[in-house]
Amino acid sequence: MNTDPGVVRDLFAGHYLLFAFLTSLGTIQIAVSNAGTRGLWLTPHATMTRWLGIALILTAIAIFFMQPLWVDGPWAAGSVEADSLTRDWGKASWDELAGARNVNDIHGGLDGVKQAGWFSLAAITAFAVSAIAGTLSIKILNTVQPKSYDEQNTGPQDGLVGLANRSYLSVQPESWRNFKTDIGDLWHKGIREADSWNLIKSIWGRSSK
Amino acid sequence: MTSIDANIVMWLNGLSGTIPAFDNLMRIAASDYLMPLVFSLSMLGLWFSGKNPAQRIRYQLTTLMGISALSISNIVVWLFNITIERPRPFVEHGDELTLMFYSPTDPSFPANPVSVSFAVATAAWTINRKFGLWLYAAAALFGFSRMYAGIFYPTDIVGGAVVGISIYVFTTYLRRFLEPLITSFVRLIRGLSAA
Repeated sequence: MNTDPGVVRDLFAGHYLLFAFLTSLGTIQIAVSNAGTRGLWLTPHATMTRWLGIALILTAIAIFFMQPLWVDGPWAAGSVEADSLTRDWGKASWDELAGARNVNDIHGGLDGVKQAGWFSLAAITAFAVSAIAGTLSIKILNTVQPKSYDEQNTGPQDGLVGLANRSYLSVQPESWRNFKTDIGDLWHKGIREADSWNLIKSIWGRSSK
Repeated sequence: MTSIDANIVMWLNGLSGTIPAFDNLMRIAASDYLMPLVFSLSMLGLWFSGKNPAQRIRYQLTTLMGISALSISNIVVWLFNITIERPRPFVEHGDELTLMFYSPTDPSFPANPVSVSFAVATAAWTINRKFGLWLYAAAALFGFSRMYAGIFYPTDIVGGAVVGISIYVFTTYLRRFLEPLITSFVRLIRGLSAA
């Protein structure tokens, strides 16, 4: 590699974050459109939301793998060999595009741990964007909300259940209130019902009696 | 066994250059970024997919099991790697192989990417057979592409798959060891309206 691995790593991190964010947003949109979680939809309609999700994923894949054509990086035309040891800095050619992203982590590619970190950030951001878009859609566009399966049930209307027909902002206080009310009972019940060899029971079991 | 293993890799890798488009497809499938992201997204999608509260909690607990199995697989593969230290095919048969991927520096057996892929695919399979089979196919393609590229033997792939599936099964037992921590964690995320 004829370039500083740190520079390559920063470049890959930026590209990967965008890739992971767009694909996460697309995946969340497909999942919540199927599940009827309206509070997280980017558009007011399920079918449109689903197709938008698919489009986001395909666009992200195309951008990530074609970016070397217009962004300078460790894939200069003519220098892309299978091994990433002797790459030059520049734009890739069509012929070498498929292998351009295959850069060893010791030469600046992202290892599994770094990918996991960036992916987590991207997924959380995608959820936040979905929650904001869903809130705007429900509050401002005042979209019509037929009753969902969840709402017809009599259980608590918090978490994703509550987001079936309400915005994140209106559900969140109830979700947190219910969490604070339930967590003690849930914890003690879990310890009571745990196996005798359970680690948590052996640590907290006595104090929970 | 090593001879059969090497012959299969050399035969497969010998096909490279015949159809350039297929070679390019294998380079992208073997990438460090595409398939790992596919498996991460499958877990993210599963988290949000439940259509009623009971289904949702089941999917979310399975997602956590899948992610845990993925992490534990990495550790188990590393332990195998430092114990067995099997050289990569391109190290042992460099003259007879056309390397289509960068040369990894870690040992070959078992295949780490295949192991984590199969762990996640097994988690998905326990929820939805069809979805799980698609992910098994993706995991197999991931392993095949790396074998085609000359960086894994077939037994590395099979070993990785066995480790991944076994670790998922082990993780489901581990969950019983750590309850009610796992369920409480899901409850906390629900308190943030994300579960």
